[in-house]
Amino acid sequence: MTGTAFDFRDVGYAYRSHRALDGVSLRIDLGERVALLGANGSGKSTLLRLMDALAFADRGAAFALSAPLSESAMQEEAVNFAFRRRVGLVFQNPDVQLFNPTVLDELAFGPLQLGWEKPRVRAAIAVALARFGLAPLADRSPHRLSGGEKKRVALASILITEPEILLLDEPTAALDPASRADLVGVLAQERGSGRTIVVATHDLDIVEDIADRAIVLDQGAVAADGPVAEILHDIGLMRRSHLIFEPRRGRPADPTAMGGS
Amino acid sequence: MAEPSYGRCNCGTRRRGFVNGVVVALEAAESHFLEAERSAARRGLLQGLDPRIKVAATLALVVGATATTSLAVLALLFGLAVGLAALSGIGPARLSRTVWLGVLLFTGAVVLPAVFLVPGDPIARLPLVGWTMTLQGLRSAAFVLGRAETAATLAFLLVSTTPWPHVLKALASLGVPAPVVAILGMTHRYVFVLLQSALQLVEARRSRIMRSMTASQRRRTLMSVVGVLLERSLALSAEVHMAMIARGYRGEVRLLHDFRARPVDWAFLSAAVAVPVAILALRA
Repeated sequence: MTGTAFDFRDVGYAYRSHRALDGVSLRIDLGERVALLGANGSGKSTLLRLMDALAFADRGAAFALSAPLSESAMQEEAVNFAFRRRVGLVFQNPDVQLFNPTVLDELAFGPLQLGWEKPRVRAAIAVALARFGLAPLADRSPHRLSGGEKKRVALASILITEPEILLLDEPTAALDPASRADLVGVLAQERGSGRTIVVATHDLDIVEDIADRAIVLDQGAVAADGPVAEILHDIGLMRRSHLIFEPRRGRPADPTAMGGS
Repeated sequence: MAEPSYGRCNCGTRRRGFVNGVVVALEAAESHFLEAERSAARRGLLQGLDPRIKVAATLALVVGATATTSLAVLALLFGLAVGLAALSGIGPARLSRTVWLGVLLFTGAVVLPAVFLVPGDPIARLPLVGWTMTLQGLRSAAFVLGRAETAATLAFLLVSTTPWPHVLKALASLGVPAPVVAILGMTHRYVFVLLQSALQLVEARRSRIMRSMTASQRRRTLMSVVGVLLERSLALSAEVHMAMIARGYRGEVRLLHDFRARPVDWAFLSAAVAVPVAILALRA
């Protein structure tokens, strides 16, 4: 797969008086697996929202799939439809994303909104239920699910439409170790799919499994961009970006000290 | 020295009354939903019917109850609702606790003046105040109360024998606009999230209470919980809307429903529709 997924040039975004992104420039090609690393408040979630056209840059220029990411462009029905078909975002809080009465309805929501025919929706649901092990939960209400199950349903509800670009906001937040391993396994399976994956996380333990490239954000700006192994082993960078603890005297620096949730 | 305990309440009477009261009420609300879900999952007459048929039949029977001008027919309809409940595994004890008592108290309070104010044949006189009860007043109060109890029982049967998502899909397939169905669905879905939030807020408050609260402190606590909940629900609604847009929502909700009505469903619906039709025909 060739082409550009995202091209951000000197992008800025502010929530009222707080500037969340300040001069972000980055380019992500189609098929890349990228981890956005940064401490809380570094601008990761905001950047994902800009990538999913849920918010728009107030400075600079942003492009997705070679088209401008602007409010006026997204107001055009055809542009919006084409974009939503190709880009999917898994929210950090599954309670935000799982708004339907049952798991089955949740899976059906995206395809139905994208205008799929009902037989095709049913077939896709059957595949998703099997792939994510959700068949026993199909008729359950999302509020009755565990945290891990909710995350799985949230991911399945996005992947069911087979988006070319998958954006994930803190996918392992508040998960127990088993659910976390389960989710990482699903994401690791995506390696051969050719899908572009952008994951915002501060869980350093999972980065090598799910991404090849890491972009470090610090106070709304890109602090580093490079191969995952290189970034994770730059202890100074990790420390400056508040991704690891300041090591105490007599204890070795541990790049995974802030990892896990 | 007594061992400290960390259970439901190890606090003063006033605090137990207020904070624990809120927790108990919130837990009761959640357990009410759970009970409804459990009875919907049981085997029974109504549980086995097509949800669309149940919605339509309930509507027909409610129309019958409101259209009738005969107390005997109203009593029959009420008896029918109780019979359907029994065949669906819902006993009179649960009906009286969940439906009848509340309706009786609320509707009873509303119709009580009618017993004395509607002019007609006097049948009794209240000893101290000297108010006169009339036959016509009692009859009109009985009608209002009977209709309310019958309609509430039928509505309760519908939601207690049908999973809520199926009720929503039945409404959608019967022509109720999709946005209305979506709002009903989301309300049900997020009531639990907000209930959970409310419980956590009250629990967190309780864990920090050191001594009895005064009345003004209790009011402030309640108001702060309400305020925080309102703020959270506003933030949540904005986030949910964003999540919907991210998945292609453009103002029109599309639903997937695949119910199949069998002959027994049609027979049930026919019988239910026959009730208001017969009542209206007799009135005409």
